[in-house]
Amino acid sequence: MTIETALSIAGLVVVLAPLLLVLAFCTSALTRWTPSERTSARLTEASVLCGLLAAGFVFVGMLATGSRNVEIELGHWASVHGLSADDAYHFHLKFVFDRLSVPLVFLTFVLVGTVGAFANRYLHREPGYHRFFSLYALFLLGMVGATLAGTVETLFVGWELVGLSSALLVAFFHDRPGPVENGLRVWSVYRFADAAFLIAVVALHHVHGAGDFAELTGHGAWPNGEATLSSGAALAIGLLVLIAAAGKSALLPFSEWLPRAMEGPTPSSAVFYGALSVHLGTYLLLRVSPLLALSWPLSAAVVALGLATAAYGAIVARAQADVKSALAFASLAQVGLITAEIGFGLHYLPLIHIVGHATFRTLQLLRAPSVLHDYQSLENALGERVANGGGPQAAVYRFAYLRGQLDGWIYRFVVEPFLAVFGVCQALEMRWLRWLAGESSGAKAEPTAPDAAQKSEAA
Amino acid sequence: MTQSAVSSEPVAHEDDASNVVAWLEHAAHLLPSQGPISVFVHHNTLHAFEQLPFDQAVQTAADLYDCHPYLPEQDYRTALRHGRITAQDLEAELFDVLGDRGDQLIGRLGTRHELWLSMLGHPLREGAEAEIHWFVEETEALYRFRDEASAADKQRSIDDTRRWLVRDYRDEAKVSPELHLRIDRLIDQFGGPGSIGDWDDARWEAFTLHLLWLACEESTAAAPCEHAAANGVGWEAADALVDPVMIRLCAAYLDQGYAPWTLPNRDQGLLAAFLSLHAETRPAESWLRRLPQRVREIQQQQPAAAELIWSLLDELHVPVERREAFLQHELLRLPGWTGTLWQMETNAEWAPWPAPAGSLVELMAVRLLLLTFAAKAADGETPAQSASERRSRQDRANLAFVLFQVAEIRGWSGPDLLQLAPEELSMLLAEIRAFPSRVRRRVYHQAYERHYRNAALGALSAAAARTSPPAAAPAYQIVCCIDDREESFRRHLEEIDPDCETFGYAGFFGVAMYYKGLGEAHFRPLCPVNVKPVHYIVEEPVYTEADASRRRAAARRRLGRAAHGLTLGSRSMIGGLVAGLLGAVATLPMVLRVVAPRLAEGLLRGAGRLVRDQRTRLHLETIADTDGDRKDGYTVDEMAAIVEGLLRTTGLPGCWSPLVIICGHGSSSVNNPHAAAYDCGACGGGRGGPNARAFARMANDPRVRALLAERGFPIPPTTVFIGAYHNTCDDSVAYYDLDALQSEADAALTRAREAIEEARRRDAHERARRFESAALNLSLDRALRHVEGRAADLSQVRSECGHATNALCLVGRRAWSRGLFLDRRAFLTSYDPLLDDDDYSVLAKLLAAVIPVCAGINLEYYFSRIDNAGYGCGTKLPHNLTSLLGVMDGAGSDLRTGLPWQMVEIHEPLRILFVIETTPQAIAKIAADNPAIDRLLAGDWVQLAIIDPADASLQLFRGGKFEPLPTTNDTLPTVASSYAWYRGQRDHLDFALIDAGDAAAIEEAAP
Repeated sequence: MTIETALSIAGLVVVLAPLLLVLAFCTSALTRWTPSERTSARLTEASVLCGLLAAGFVFVGMLATGSRNVEIELGHWASVHGLSADDAYHFHLKFVFDRLSVPLVFLTFVLVGTVGAFANRYLHREPGYHRFFSLYALFLLGMVGATLAGTVETLFVGWELVGLSSALLVAFFHDRPGPVENGLRVWSVYRFADAAFLIAVVALHHVHGAGDFAELTGHGAWPNGEATLSSGAALAIGLLVLIAAAGKSALLPFSEWLPRAMEGPTPSSAVFYGALSVHLGTYLLLRVSPLLALSWPLSAAVVALGLATAAYGAIVARAQADVKSALAFASLAQVGLITAEIGFGLHYLPLIHIVGHATFRTLQLLRAPSVLHDYQSLENALGERVANGGGPQAAVYRFAYLRGQLDGWIYRFVVEPFLAVFGVCQALEMRWLRWLAGESSGAKAEPTAPDAAQKSEAA
Repeated sequence: MTQSAVSSEPVAHEDDASNVVAWLEHAAHLLPSQGPISVFVHHNTLHAFEQLPFDQAVQTAADLYDCHPYLPEQDYRTALRHGRITAQDLEAELFDVLGDRGDQLIGRLGTRHELWLSMLGHPLREGAEAEIHWFVEETEALYRFRDEASAADKQRSIDDTRRWLVRDYRDEAKVSPELHLRIDRLIDQFGGPGSIGDWDDARWEAFTLHLLWLACEESTAAAPCEHAAANGVGWEAADALVDPVMIRLCAAYLDQGYAPWTLPNRDQGLLAAFLSLHAETRPAESWLRRLPQRVREIQQQQPAAAELIWSLLDELHVPVERREAFLQHELLRLPGWTGTLWQMETNAEWAPWPAPAGSLVELMAVRLLLLTFAAKAADGETPAQSASERRSRQDRANLAFVLFQVAEIRGWSGPDLLQLAPEELSMLLAEIRAFPSRVRRRVYHQAYERHYRNAALGALSAAAARTSPPAAAPAYQIVCCIDDREESFRRHLEEIDPDCETFGYAGFFGVAMYYKGLGEAHFRPLCPVNVKPVHYIVEEPVYTEADASRRRAAARRRLGRAAHGLTLGSRSMIGGLVAGLLGAVATLPMVLRVVAPRLAEGLLRGAGRLVRDQRTRLHLETIADTDGDRKDGYTVDEMAAIVEGLLRTTGLPGCWSPLVIICGHGSSSVNNPHAAAYDCGACGGGRGGPNARAFARMANDPRVRALLAERGFPIPPTTVFIGAYHNTCDDSVAYYDLDALQSEADAALTRAREAIEEARRRDAHERARRFESAALNLSLDRALRHVEGRAADLSQVRSECGHATNALCLVGRRAWSRGLFLDRRAFLTSYDPLLDDDDYSVLAKLLAAVIPVCAGINLEYYFSRIDNAGYGCGTKLPHNLTSLLGVMDGAGSDLRTGLPWQMVEIHEPLRILFVIETTPQAIAKIAADNPAIDRLLAGDWVQLAIIDPADASLQLFRGGKFEPLPTTNDTLPTVASSYAWYRGQRDHLDFALIDAGDAAAIEEAAP
């Protein structure tokens, strides 16, 4: 067995471990067999350990062989021949281990494993215990799939799994209306970002035929790839990707979903919104970083958005009186900085920043209930009350307190017109239907435009 | 704004405005009275209703807060199935409730007692009209009898129907034409009259049930209807818009220092802060669009908050007579935040930022101001009051449905019902109405309590009947807190070393003080909440370590500043950048803390030891007896009084041993905002170690002893006192000032410490049986490691069980209960009636503290368990610490007060049963002198029994008088050790006697 085969097998294990976990939990749902807490925890533990060890093996193998790019091909799944073989329109299922994906896959396994062990005790005897771990497995699979993805399609699948599991975990306590509303809010922002991502994928296929990153970013191993797109195409696709990243990483103007997402159990908040999920957008930008190099307006947009988000997060965090919101906005400030670093064309700094920030913030969020105790210890050490330095100018405080009213403005300028347009369409359609049915107008009660608007708002 | 109206009636307006304040302050009593969560004081959740009898109070409160008054009916039924309630309990309870009325016949359908009993025995479903119709039409309800119906009843019902159909139905013209029509139609459905002869059993069963349902519908068609009072004021939609704004405002306003920036102008009050915040905004949300303009108008006019409220009420078109109710409704909309604000305004002068006076009224002004805008936006969304027509249909459908179910269970057939005379029918319906779910739950609940009460009193009388061996001089004595968690600790200690003697005394040991430990920033009260201490006690380093201590304090301060900088910095942009870049370092502590909590805790503690002082002393004594409300220590006289208090109450001086250990307690847990709720209730949610330490020093002082000898309590010179501290979470025991002891006490001390070491291991083992995550077959050492791990585990939401399962409080000599397995459910207070005077002054003083404190703990657990979402604070998992004051659910909810689900999960909600060793006369006198106790006793908020000091007979306090209990001949199971009784068991355990005589058996039984 050659070292390449061994590496490929190990790489496959990295992906299969979470996939099998998801399958195990899915089967249990089909057979109405609910595994005990112990079984759920053991399975998760085993899967994470397998994946982590295999990833470690790949990493060591890569160091030993000096290979900087290990690809695992799982075949062509669709292929439509174009004019030449290169132009063929095809889907690959391909995973790539390189300098970007290996650290992140390590980070994913370590954090998911640690937080999983935490959650195992934290959620003990909770009625939704098994649901939590099922969604958690789905998240792990999505995260691993997205980080190791070698093609845009694979990345998109992982991306969607992460989004789905996040939204469902935000709405974990579905017996109260608040979490469900906020879960839905998160979901709708994700959908918006996904739409942008999907359009980018389609555009990419249109230009290139394939969704391989190798095509998109040149054939060098990350970060040395060179993209082969024209600068105009790079800007268009890059902007779409930026929107997708902004939605996922809660960059402006979507930022207000991040504190709303703090409705789930503390461990899921920690691993999703402190650590992994929130960095997925920046990961996407890093992955397509050769694209950024092609178009300076694109880089400038990334830097501007990053810095604006960082400033926003840092300011707003200072007026938050509850622990989880404060940490959410503090995370945001760092995610903004990371985005800006990527925009500046840096590669390793943002990567280190992501890894460091994710672990650090996870620990902070897991310890969020300790804040009271920490404050007492702090006062004891200082021997006095902890003094907070007053406040800034009224206008700045107001901005921070109201969180810039981002959601409010989005609602007013995007959602309301959107609903209004659909309301008009609905009214027209009803009129048309009535005409077809030969009824005189207004004979029967039917959903009217405001009704429909309310419904979609509630949805 | 109705400014003109206001100015035209100035006098009336002034009156009204003052009404507003009075109304609000009156309604504020209905708010939860929990203050900042860092000082958790257990109190009766329904304290505001204490002047009412318990049952009335819980039902009134249930309506007001939309909470449960008792457990759900199916929980009691489960208890019935598991034998936790027996059929005899229910019978007896019904007998008590109904008395002679139980024998009354309801038509020809049996007695009231039988009717009620069968309504209790089986679940009676109720539902919305559509639900009932669905159930009747879509399920097998009309085809098969319920499983609960006995075969005999079923058969009788079918036979009745058959006989009636073939014999009576055609002949008798008793049935009205319309009914005739319906029954004919029903027969047609089943194949027409011609086919009746061919019906098989299943068809007869179905027909019987169809006819029965028809009869039920028919019987209730004309029944008078009861209308539930319309609930709510119809502002739901508007309130829902206002709530998030109020939540954010309250959090910023009340912030005790979490956010680096504080709300501008908050010192000028809530209204001013709100106005200045919103005068210049450009609200994005359309319903608030005109707010800034309105705010500026108000800023110019500068009305008092109460006046503003009055004019806003005008604007909201709330009629004058409904305003008080309306304000109360609005006040209770976010009870957690509003209640905390009220507490911060009235009761938290010690907090970093107590709210200024008038905050509550201003809160209401802001709320109503927002409500005026929200009401406009939500106009038309307010649901119309449900039509009374629909409600009466609903009511009848439910009545018919319940009647149907009762009939099935009782074996009544359709013809039975149809043949009832009108007055019999209305009597039957009235009877069913008189026993709705809530009353059934009350009866169930009382049976639930009765079962435990009977078992407890039976066990006590059996235990008291034992002949106690002649008292030998004990080897050593230990005084613990009365806390229910110390029951098992004491029991195990007595099992291990039968020569020791244990006592229970309120865990502050009479030393009510403000205490500041070495390395602590503030004084904190260590005494019951209703006591306001005047003595300020400081812990200092010993003389030789003073310099080193100063250096360590400086090091701590530097470390603290660095930590503070790091915490704040990590939330800022640049600091966060640094923290983020270096953050990977955090992996190690994180993984370690989660995967190996005990190891991580050990390392942390080791590191902390470098900057903490090892040898300290208390600055306990003051030379000058200064008057005033601050004394820096106790005088010798005061110390003697404190020591005498304990000696006189507990009966400790009966037989002196060489060593007396005074043991305070507390609980250490991590990552737990509710940590204070686990600490010593008698120390006001503090840790009682320093009190024990101070008491021991006082009792060792020769001058104090001299004074005590004069007062008739000579302490032998060979007896020494030491203080100790029991951590009820990791079951560690620490001792104070051992080095100051004379060497004569060494032998007793060594013996005591060895026994305590073993007792804490066994205690941990007994506790571990209640933790599902601990295997039932743990060894002693593994059990101890398990509880230590829990205390250090960041992810542990049940670090210990706290007071959960508490149900009993014994006040009397230990001899009655020694060797009785009480399952950690009893507060144990030592009281020696022989040392009391004729005025019962010792008992009066004791009960004045014990009854309110224990009742407060018990009732808080009761209500948090009964309705955890309403009275408690729900599950801990999404809790989000806010403003350093309390927890919210997730990102923005009401502040949650009460106890979390994880604390009360295993609790059995029972009113606490006090068993006091005294006479009825004493209780009568004490209750007469103490209104708080009187209220609790007269209102049945607690249960009370007394045990006669002379002949150990028991009497139960019921309905305002004492009734002697029949002596039972039940013998309790006797086991060799506690372990033999609890091993392999997770659930609540019955009482048992432990025969500690056979030491070999214990050795053998030990795990």
